[in-house]
Amino acid sequence: MSKENKRTWTKAGLYFSFFLVVISFLFPLLWVLSLSLQTPFEVLQVPPNIIPTSFAIENYRDVLDSAPVLQYLWNSFRIVVSTVVLTLLIAIPAAFALSRYQMKFKNHLLIAILMTQMMSAVVITIPIYRLFASWGLLNQLGLVVIVYVAAVLPFSTWFLKNYIDTIPKDIDEAAIIDGCNKWQMLRRVLLPVSLPGIVSVVIIVAVQSWSQFVIPFILIDDSSLYPVSVGVVNLQSTQTQITTHLLAAGSIMSIIPVVILFVVLQRYIVGALTNGAVKG
Amino acid sequence: MSVHDTAVSQDKMDRPLKKKKTVWDTPYPWLIPLLVILTAVFLYPIIQIVHLSFTDANMIQIGHDYTFESYLRMFTLPGFIPMISATGFFVFFSVIFQLICGFIIALLIVQGEKMKLRGTVVVRTSVLVAWAIPGVIIGVIWGMLYNETDAGIINYMLGIAGIGPIPFLSDPTMALLSVTLANIWRGTAFSMILMYAGLKTVSKDLIEAAIIDGANGFQRMKSIILPAMAPIMLVNLIIISIDTFNTFDMVMALTSGGPGNSTEVIALSIYTAIFREFNLGEGAATAVMLLIINVVMTIIYLKVLGRRGQVE
Repeated sequence: MSKENKRTWTKAGLYFSFFLVVISFLFPLLWVLSLSLQTPFEVLQVPPNIIPTSFAIENYRDVLDSAPVLQYLWNSFRIVVSTVVLTLLIAIPAAFALSRYQMKFKNHLLIAILMTQMMSAVVITIPIYRLFASWGLLNQLGLVVIVYVAAVLPFSTWFLKNYIDTIPKDIDEAAIIDGCNKWQMLRRVLLPVSLPGIVSVVIIVAVQSWSQFVIPFILIDDSSLYPVSVGVVNLQSTQTQITTHLLAAGSIMSIIPVVILFVVLQRYIVGALTNGAVKG
Repeated sequence: MSVHDTAVSQDKMDRPLKKKKTVWDTPYPWLIPLLVILTAVFLYPIIQIVHLSFTDANMIQIGHDYTFESYLRMFTLPGFIPMISATGFFVFFSVIFQLICGFIIALLIVQGEKMKLRGTVVVRTSVLVAWAIPGVIIGVIWGMLYNETDAGIINYMLGIAGIGPIPFLSDPTMALLSVTLANIWRGTAFSMILMYAGLKTVSKDLIEAAIIDGANGFQRMKSIILPAMAPIMLVNLIIISIDTFNTFDMVMALTSGGPGNSTEVIALSIYTAIFREFNLGEGAATAVMLLIINVVMTIIYLKVLGRRGQVE
């Protein structure tokens, strides 16, 4: 077989595999999108229509009437933004100290932090639920955010510590000689250099907090405070077979913001993630 | 950006003298917020749960006595062996297939990028999107795919091929298989990202050299790519295993542990024992078991990392 021929075959094989991968990942989503545009009658039709004939866009209006999906999205947004900000405020100084200072038991501390990262969220949240319930503190978004932050802090701290480790210490010394104190050094010298690492943390923390389910599911029982993850499960348990189309519309609405974000920013996200996987 | 604009002159004069040490020159103030939050949100619950596991506490009455009964009951309950085997099946097959699928897809994407194929970005993005969807919504979506009536899409397509209909979620054995499949779909994305990052670090020179030496694709895979990827695969394996042991959201949305308790994996069974059966002691005992699994896996992880020389 000639070299040219072989290349063509490899290409064809790759494209065929690409097709299989894309279909297996996109088909479930496209099917739900299709269901979300069908009337209740069409949903039950046999054979099922892959491309909806009724194009029932009113499902989206109906689901907004029957469940506060926009409120859920807004709650998720508020929680995610506060979690990201608070996480950075706590993890950056901690990572700086773990990277730049000598201290006793540093390795023990790093291992303890890693251990907390691996703990099951269900196990951790149950005693917190009991504590909050006995103090009447359930449904306090501020406190829920603290638990969210705790869930992502170990990863963020480790990641940023490893990132700062890769920055040469000469840069610190130069800043000190120039008269910076430690705060100024961190803010004006290390932060700008660590920006790619910080962006990685922001993306990963945002996605994890957006997906977080156990914490709000256990700590929030006021439905006006639900994030989308809990909201959709709530929608599911109140809907029956007849209203599959509404559940589908609700699911699509709750994933569409992130999906759009990912498609638009995919190049940066892949960069941030691979960067993280190697360093973290 | 300038670092010259504050109090430089003053400092320049002071420089020969030893600068006065402030509290910020010690690591502790930087670490306090982190330590406070981690202690409050992790240490306190862990102590509580271990404490509760040695009591007969429940969610209805206040007060409790100390007892080992929870552990004895946990091991002898008729649901224990099914829970362990459901968890074992779920974790084992999820992890194996997430590793394999993640690796294959990462290879395809790296190869596609090398040959500058146009569709590569589409593949990468569609896999990545699965990672960004909350686990519960993945459960809801797969619940619709697994619809067992004639209008169910998977059963319809299998029907065209002359198979089925398959009772995806109503048959206990099938349900466990269905949950595992959905979880593989969910976790492959993350595994792919790690593998992709790993493959990008495999030295190109080494591969070029192997090609010049006349190594074929299979030989290159066996003697260069796989050995170079072994550490990252091991790390990936452990992270995925821990994640899968801790899985709660997706299964909750897809089957809630049913039918019966055929898909009640360990994290779900803790939740059920405590919030549905109000049996705190027993739920706590199971929780302690899961914590022990978490700790053991983390120790293995550290051993692997240590061998890679990442922990000083």
